[in-house]
Amino acid sequence: MSETTTPELDERGRSKVADVDRSLYDFKKPEEGYERYGDGLTPDIVRAISAKKDEPAWMLEMRLKALEVYHERAMSPNWGPDISGLDLDHISTYVSPQTKQAQSWDEVPEDIKDTFERLGIPAAERESLAGVGAQYDSEIVYHNMREEVAKQGVVYTTIEDALHDPKWEPVVHEYFGTLIPMRDHKFAALHYAVWSGGSFVYVPAGIRLDYPLQSYFRLNASGAGQFEHTLIVVEPGADLHFIEGCSAPKYFEANLHAGAVELFVKDGARLRYSTIENWSKNMYNLNTKRATVGAGSKMEWVSGSFGSHVSYLYPTTILQGARSTCEFTGITFAGATQDLDTGCKVILNGADTTASIDTKSISKDGGINTFRSSVVIGRHAERARASVSCQSLMLDDISRSDTIPAMDVRCGSASVGHEATIGRISDDTVLYLMSRGCSEAEARSMVVNGFASPVSKELPLEYAVEMNNLIKLEMEGAIG
Amino acid sequence: MADQLLSISGLSAGTEDKPILHDINLSVGAGETHVLMGPNGAGKSTLGHVIMGDASYQVTSGSIVFDGQDVTAQAADRRSLAGIFLSYQAPVEVPGVPLYSFLRTICQMRPELKTSARKFRERIARISDQLDLDESFLTRELNVGFSGGEKKKIEMLQLLLLRPKLAILDETDSGLDVDALAVVSRGIEAYRADCDGALLVITHNTRILERLSVDHAHVMVKGRLVAEGPASLIDEIDAQGFGRFEGAGEKAEA
Amino acid sequence: MAAQTLTGVNVPPAQTWNYLRINDISLELPTVVSKGTVPSRLPRLFSQMECGLGKEAVSWIEASAGDARYVEVPRGTTFEEPILVDVASDGGEVHDLGVLLREGASATVVVAARGTGTGAAASSAALVRVIVERGAHLKVVEILSVGDGNQHLEGLGIQADDDSSVEIRQYALGGARRAVGLAVDLAGKGASLRLDSRYLVGGHDLLDINHVVRQRGRNTRCDIVTQGLLEDAAHKTLRETIDLVHGAKGAKGNEVETVLVAGDEVVNKTLPVILCDEDDVAGNHGASIGSVSPEQLAYLAGRGLSEDEATKLFARAILDDAAIHAPEGVSLACALERAEQVLGAEIAHDAADTLGLEPTNSEDEEASA
Repeated sequence: MSETTTPELDERGRSKVADVDRSLYDFKKPEEGYERYGDGLTPDIVRAISAKKDEPAWMLEMRLKALEVYHERAMSPNWGPDISGLDLDHISTYVSPQTKQAQSWDEVPEDIKDTFERLGIPAAERESLAGVGAQYDSEIVYHNMREEVAKQGVVYTTIEDALHDPKWEPVVHEYFGTLIPMRDHKFAALHYAVWSGGSFVYVPAGIRLDYPLQSYFRLNASGAGQFEHTLIVVEPGADLHFIEGCSAPKYFEANLHAGAVELFVKDGARLRYSTIENWSKNMYNLNTKRATVGAGSKMEWVSGSFGSHVSYLYPTTILQGARSTCEFTGITFAGATQDLDTGCKVILNGADTTASIDTKSISKDGGINTFRSSVVIGRHAERARASVSCQSLMLDDISRSDTIPAMDVRCGSASVGHEATIGRISDDTVLYLMSRGCSEAEARSMVVNGFASPVSKELPLEYAVEMNNLIKLEMEGAIG
Repeated sequence: MADQLLSISGLSAGTEDKPILHDINLSVGAGETHVLMGPNGAGKSTLGHVIMGDASYQVTSGSIVFDGQDVTAQAADRRSLAGIFLSYQAPVEVPGVPLYSFLRTICQMRPELKTSARKFRERIARISDQLDLDESFLTRELNVGFSGGEKKKIEMLQLLLLRPKLAILDETDSGLDVDALAVVSRGIEAYRADCDGALLVITHNTRILERLSVDHAHVMVKGRLVAEGPASLIDEIDAQGFGRFEGAGEKAEA
Repeated sequence: MAAQTLTGVNVPPAQTWNYLRINDISLELPTVVSKGTVPSRLPRLFSQMECGLGKEAVSWIEASAGDARYVEVPRGTTFEEPILVDVASDGGEVHDLGVLLREGASATVVVAARGTGTGAAASSAALVRVIVERGAHLKVVEILSVGDGNQHLEGLGIQADDDSSVEIRQYALGGARRAVGLAVDLAGKGASLRLDSRYLVGGHDLLDINHVVRQRGRNTRCDIVTQGLLEDAAHKTLRETIDLVHGAKGAKGNEVETVLVAGDEVVNKTLPVILCDEDDVAGNHGASIGSVSPEQLAYLAGRGLSEDEATKLFARAILDDAAIHAPEGVSLACALERAEQVLGAEIAHDAADTLGLEPTNSEDEEASA
């Protein structure tokens, strides 16, 4: 691609910003010998998943109840992207590679290991991570953490393993499903019925991890769903950076991701949760993430959404404790065939809480971006402050970008500032850069990079590089 | 010094994270005209705002006595009612508030200015005339969409309406064209003539002073008052700049 | 009186989470009883116009009003005298007006919805639809003060053709429960809208607003400035939507809301939406919710106002501003009546006296217009 010397121009004579190159992610592995449950959703399938995991009775009960709720609930008819292409009767909710969870990459089957090698996970683990979990379809295939971190009492394992440990089963039982109730929405109920895989992280009081923990989720199977559950408890005064990455090869059949992330940040603690989501464009990403934050604590979200056919994604923060803070930094890139409804929710209940939300979106080639948020300030959130800034960049006239921020303020001493702008790359900016010797294509790509940089600079290095793969390198393709 | 209108002694102040003013001593007698000069960033405007009681600055030591009362701990609205007026360098826009509603409110709350709607109207008409202000301004929103010159005229209008004992003019001359400058100068003259008030003129440009009879000039460098003198000091600065004082500021700092 | 519940009133074009209860409002309204007469209807071209309230509410108003009033302003003419919709809310009046401004015409429409609310609770309504042809200029002033205890529905639908301009000043000053819908279709190239919306809500009153602006024409302009003060247990919902439709090249849409919250039990909801289906456009939204800004407070304090007094000034300002912009006697009287209730007689008439706004009688008004 770098041989191209003439930038491709659109019908208005402007150079095109190229689509995201998916070749890095778009490789498939055979599914032979895998255990794959039948399509559709029945109590028998739910019982089978539970039996396979040899779960406590309460978990099976919860799954069966959730299945009932799933069938009762409808999607909201009045908003959100169309998900009629998603037919649960043609989705397998459980696909497992027949392998045991490994603690060493050498024990991971060759094709799966190759997948994660290509995604750079083992290399990152060696260089800059405190621990890694890797999920392949429905099951975790690799989980390991540095010894010195384990010695501090930090637990990083799968929910399944925690449930089999008499010490941690009561802890999982105490927290699991309490922050995101199964009645939250239809796909939360589905999640609780068929969840599999994910992570359980426990950071004891006062422990601060110097390096991040990272979980990577890879959905290789076609026509399947991934329903991992992430449960993180950060005890008072502790500090954790958790990273999740997700990708999948492209298929024609619809895939479904309906994970759940429940984060408990206790008093005086800090949690940074970074995500680069790069599902393939046959994915329905209906993920739910929520954090509850104690007094004087800090919740930071960094979120990059690039993939999926349809996304409904709004990480939620409940600032329950006084003086707690939330920072949300996000970017969403919607290209052809993508309808991405993303944003966040913040509920400020504690006095002197602060939330700052900063999001960007880029729309091109007919992609649809919707920024959706809600800021709710409770009656007793004295002096709470929230600021929302939302910028949308339109790269052509066949794409779409909507901004739908709701605010509900019930406290007189609270304040909210909000600003949103939508527009294209200004001709003046392009002209200015061209007058300094840049080609038009370079100028446009420079502007897009600058637009995205406040987000990429918040990401861990290897993810910033991945994000560059997703935007910058491809734009170089257009520059030649 | 008991007959001084304003006595500042040993005043140090700044923002939460940065000290700006150091050990300021300054006295202004009733009806006197003082000029405060100094290079950009010396802290001149800060002193004006601290005298007014702007809550974004904190006094760390020293006192401000105005008209026999220690006002150091008083809020700005109390100081305003006591007779201090600060003309803003950049008057704040207050959307949604018609200028008339604002002017009427700030006058009616002062017993000495309380008057009937008709008399108020006459006062406004007279002052607007002095300042070349069209009365259609009265129904526009306070400072919203006004040009720099118009905003300064609105500050002068308030000055003449409120008749304070001390007026601090913070760079009132900055950014004005010749016509607007002439109007503002007329406003200041009118204030001196009608109200017999004291003036503290903050400026780094001497043109506005040409039509004023100045009693004292002060020079501020790096948050300290480094020189004080008669009006002739202004001519000296006009000719030679602040160079010779800047060394003094450093010495004081050391 | 038999009642019916009207659901789905003031639904914005793009909605969001239903649990936030921000997507619509329901109203209890008297059941429409046929009068057994043949009512006059507006020309068909008005029937498809949006007005923010929603189809059901429009049907209710049309049926309740019975006769509709139609005014045509001929090509190139200027109506000096405002077209007045005088709604006596206490009597539950319902008005339906259609105005056609022909090419290059100019007119002012005034809606004064007024009542004391001292009798039995009543429900009033006004529906105004205006077609503004090429190069025409429309000004609308709405003053809504329907009285404590009364309910009011207000719908305003405007279609603006090439190079026409629309200026709207909307004052929601009082009433127990009000649904205010507004839809402006900037259909023609170069059409422009300036909307100033002010509200003052106190007690347990509810105000529900739905502003919808469709920018369909090239180089259309939309500027919306909304300011309000909420006191006591006021309940306000403001939905503001700018829809930059595909093809509206060069369109610019701005909306700004400033809300002061001065009550302990206030409910203040805002849904400021920008929909964008075109790249050669600029859409901006800003909101500031809370108390008077520190910079403004410092400035006002320097002129002698405490924080409390500054907040009171904002209340007074909304009422004074309504009186200042009331273009004729009925709407002015309506604003002044409300000012008397909120501020007391002395201050209420102060601005009007000083600025020479006091209505003497309507003939003088017309003479001066």
